[in-house]
Amino acid sequence: MNPIEAVEPGVYSVLVDGRSYEARVEESDSCVVVFIDGHRFEVEIRDPRRWSRQSGKPVVEGRLNVTAPMPGKIVRLLVVEGDTVESGQGLLVMEAMKMQNEMKAPKAGRVVSISAREGATVAAGDVLAAIE
Amino acid sequence: MFRKVLIANRGEIAVRVIRTLREMQIASVAVFSDADRASLHVRMADEAAWVGPSPSAESYLRIDRILDAARHHGAEAIHPGYGFLSENADFAAACEEAAIVFIGPSAESIRRMGSKTAARQMAIAAGAPVVPGAHETLGGPADARAFAQQFGYPLLLKAVAGGGGKGMRRVDSDAEMDAAFRDASSEAERSFKNPDLYVEKLIQRPRHIEIQLLGDRHGHMVHFGERECSIQRRHQKVMEECPSPLVAARPGMREAMGEAAIRVARSAGYYNAGTVEFLVDARGDFYFLEMNTRLQVEHPITELVTGHDLVRLQLEVAADEDLRLRQEDITWRGSAIECRIYAEDPYNNFFPSPGKITRLTHPEGPGVRLDGCVYEGWTVPIDYDPLLAKLAVWNGTRETAIARMLRALREYDVGGIHANIAFFRQILEDEEFRAGRLHTDFVDEFLERRKPLTPPPELESIAALVADFHAKHTAPRAESAPPQRSQWRDIGRHEALR
Repeated sequence: MNPIEAVEPGVYSVLVDGRSYEARVEESDSCVVVFIDGHRFEVEIRDPRRWSRQSGKPVVEGRLNVTAPMPGKIVRLLVVEGDTVESGQGLLVMEAMKMQNEMKAPKAGRVVSISAREGATVAAGDVLAAIE
Repeated sequence: MFRKVLIANRGEIAVRVIRTLREMQIASVAVFSDADRASLHVRMADEAAWVGPSPSAESYLRIDRILDAARHHGAEAIHPGYGFLSENADFAAACEEAAIVFIGPSAESIRRMGSKTAARQMAIAAGAPVVPGAHETLGGPADARAFAQQFGYPLLLKAVAGGGGKGMRRVDSDAEMDAAFRDASSEAERSFKNPDLYVEKLIQRPRHIEIQLLGDRHGHMVHFGERECSIQRRHQKVMEECPSPLVAARPGMREAMGEAAIRVARSAGYYNAGTVEFLVDARGDFYFLEMNTRLQVEHPITELVTGHDLVRLQLEVAADEDLRLRQEDITWRGSAIECRIYAEDPYNNFFPSPGKITRLTHPEGPGVRLDGCVYEGWTVPIDYDPLLAKLAVWNGTRETAIARMLRALREYDVGGIHANIAFFRQILEDEEFRAGRLHTDFVDEFLERRKPLTPPPELESIAALVADFHAKHTAPRAESAPPQRSQWRDIGRHEALR
């Protein structure tokens, strides 16, 4: 008997060693995200017979763009071009769905460009800043 | 009683009001914007009226269009829900002029309570304790600095027209004042079209406990006890419970708070449902904060514990019926908790996460109440507050209610967008939360101290197994789909062709 049963679209029932698990799968551009009992796993499929789990976010070398995760408005810039920032430091404040959110630096480095302007409306995926 | 009522709102609260209307055999009229044509409240209502484009300023906040819809559909009364026009005195007055009953207090009561400084003065006159603060609108940062000289830091700048933490800033020193004042004022201007601020001494690590009231138009008023709303993120309540663990442990506290709340409301000539919010310090002393002149988001937990339908009572007193409930008729049984399920990503700084819901499983079973507005296949619009549902549970004790909420959250699954479900499970497992040591900075401190979830080791390999299985067995996207090629999909396609 197959231990994995597709019970609903994107939902799998797994029986292993007599124990029952339910896994939910979502596809993102670069990997498959599997949720089991509130835990989140990002699985990168490289070859159908080989898999590896990404442990946390990989350290990115070189230039990294910060993009708007959804449509919104730029409320305030917190850094200027040339600033050195820590990973997790706030770069700018964006308002979306009536909430203000700080966009944070995805890694430590220097702010090499800021394309966001205060008061500007941005679309999802727009590049707001770049860190190198 | 009314034969037809219009709900000037959207989302879960519109659905919740429609449910009681249907139980009372009153016809319901929904209103909707362009973004909400397919929303659940429109599907559930008996009648529905389009009131404008998606931005709320052009639809749900348009008094003229809402009243036109009410007249056109022959609604005798309007339930405003919460948010939008619910605490807009001009709207209440416009309803009255149009001979349509506003299901809420008088325009005059809303006006008096809507100004926080006026509400404070009323509370003082009614003999309710208040937090030390300046009674007038501040002229500028210098006024706030002068206040700090007298009462010391930290202090809190707040929007005169505010609510929900918008236009509010904590200030710890003179140096921070100018920036904080500017930020708070501009946020207040954006949120409420009024930049005015006032200042209050900050009570550190307070609890936020509120009293539910209801009164008729003839001066009779009762309270329904308290709700503990200390679990807040960015000054927005995210989780509430009834009774408050603090109040439950202190004989007489509920009665004292209830009487103080009624005194304040009476002095404003208040009727219909309302909530008086208090800050409570570590000693258990309580201070009047503000009065919300509407039905609260978190009203279901009071309904679960007292057994009364607050919307039904609102409708009855709005129809000018006498409130037959006496204070001694209201009793509290067991314990209820509510979690506000938002479309936001708990793994990414709680960023809003609108989009299409591709998968949805609701919790069910004993003691579970879900006030939601979503269904599978619905797209959460970007134009409004991202509240998807309020999950409330009831059980005999606080401990068993926590266990029940954990169980219900495990059953809850929202796919396609992110929801903050896992975040609540972590809070409910937290020892400080379980001990009932709550305060309004609880969530911030919790986020600092929480350890990353470490999954049991076997889950990792199960996840890999499932991902592999999924990649092999999921049909490739239709050819018309945008060319969003990713490696694993190519592999899936390759496998399928073999």
